[in-house]
Amino acid sequence: MEDFGTPVVLLANRGFVNDAHSAASGKGMPGVRVLGTTIACESTVAEDIRSGIDGALDDIIAALTRPLSDEEKSPKMNTEKAPRIAFKGDLREVNDFFYRKGWGDGLPIYPPSEQAVAEMMQGTDLPADHLVAKIIPRLGKATVEKIAVNAVMAGALPTHMPLLIAAVDALADPETRFDTFEVSTGSWAPFLLINGPIRKQIHINCSSGALSPGNMANAAIGRALGLIVKNIGGARKGIEDMGTLGNPAKYSLVLGENEEESPWQPLHVDFGYQESDNTLTVFFPNRYAQTIPGQTNAEGIATTLANMRPGALSALIVIPDHAKIFAAEGWSKKQVRDFIIKQNSQPAPAGGRRGGRLSEDDFIVFVAGGPGVWMGLHQSAGGFGNSFITRKIELPRNWDKLVAKYRTLVPNYVKY
Amino acid sequence: MYRIFAVAAVAILAFTAAHVPSDAYSASDGAEQQYEVLSPWAEVDPIPVRGISPRIDTLAGKKIGLFANFKRAAVPISREVEKRLKERFPDIETDLYHSTAPNIDESVEQDAAKFEAWAKSMDAVVAAVGD
Repeated sequence: MEDFGTPVVLLANRGFVNDAHSAASGKGMPGVRVLGTTIACESTVAEDIRSGIDGALDDIIAALTRPLSDEEKSPKMNTEKAPRIAFKGDLREVNDFFYRKGWGDGLPIYPPSEQAVAEMMQGTDLPADHLVAKIIPRLGKATVEKIAVNAVMAGALPTHMPLLIAAVDALADPETRFDTFEVSTGSWAPFLLINGPIRKQIHINCSSGALSPGNMANAAIGRALGLIVKNIGGARKGIEDMGTLGNPAKYSLVLGENEEESPWQPLHVDFGYQESDNTLTVFFPNRYAQTIPGQTNAEGIATTLANMRPGALSALIVIPDHAKIFAAEGWSKKQVRDFIIKQNSQPAPAGGRRGGRLSEDDFIVFVAGGPGVWMGLHQSAGGFGNSFITRKIELPRNWDKLVAKYRTLVPNYVKY
Repeated sequence: MYRIFAVAAVAILAFTAAHVPSDAYSASDGAEQQYEVLSPWAEVDPIPVRGISPRIDTLAGKKIGLFANFKRAAVPISREVEKRLKERFPDIETDLYHSTAPNIDESVEQDAAKFEAWAKSMDAVVAAVGD
């Protein structure tokens, strides 16, 4: 509206003023006048709105009539270039420096030295300055080198680089609606489902406790992606990333499909890829629920999956034992999906903000986890023009050699 | 003699201070190794910046737009602003533009021309985003 020559004042909850200024700067108009109000977010209370506007009225009028300052008329363009070398110090000093700069995630980082970054870039044939994507909200340039720097910090291995490059490329797909989910008050976290032989080659846990800490690939890939989003995209907590409660899944939410224990074709084959292809599928859930079936026959398991009320978009995780029961009773994945859709075919309840009839594209079903009885649901939101995005993971020419180099890097637990 | 002891004591203290780790790390865990580290912070292409539009001298007698996004509080906030502005400036004219699709930039969406025409027809706009 300002670009059309019309003066504007933007009213926002006072907790969102920094966010609004950051967004305006990102669009090249740092001077936009933003007014913080006391009105609760998404308030439905008339008195709250009345008193909030009452308190802000004089400022609203002033924001539309007070003459512009020189800076508001002609803001200066920020042409500052970040130095490639950030710091020199010992392990503790590097960690303290990065933490103070706001470049960390609260956990210690591995120092991204020239040597460590060079080793990380063995995981791709792309040149260091290759631009994979520009990441919102800051439109930071996700070059291969910057991805590698953040990957080193997260403790990732060179064999994780192909996934990180594919993940960055996927985030940049407008159909993920990463622009909304990453900075939303809903604290949505990027969920990566990995398919294909790469899972075993780099030890992505697809079985017992796959979503718990303890496996380098599951942990470091997600952690690296979180750092990439923050340091390349510029989504900082409480400034641009306005997640109200936050979400521990933002540390890492990476899972492999347990293809070896599934009687069905894996998800990436459902999506048209070859079984030998390596892929990742991304969406942004903010809720993770687990439950057990009322009955452990196929219909009982399917009923419980349906009763978890998947909506757009969601992922239903069928554990291997339940998948075997489905197979033994002759249920295909399509039959399970059709059953779930049928059970969720009622319209949304009156006054409901979300929900409604479940459709084919609203959810995915795949097999993961280990022995047990608990099934899982990752729930996101729909209606933003968003969908599941899958990317093929491209491997470097030296892949086999690289895999061999890190193959033995696995936990070896003592028996007791 | 006293002076010699004092100098020696200072030297020992200085040596100790320089070699005892100041934190939980010990020399054996790599704390003393120096790392020259690369910045994780990304470059951006410079964005051409623009100034905001000149303000109006008064709201009296003007046409004030009320922009409300898709969030549920946005329209009630806009209506309250409308009510309070009309109490203060009885001769103003107001017009509400309600953007119903979630998180979109109206200036580049399907109704971009309609939105531009609306924005240009207003003397000033109060925008409410519901948060």
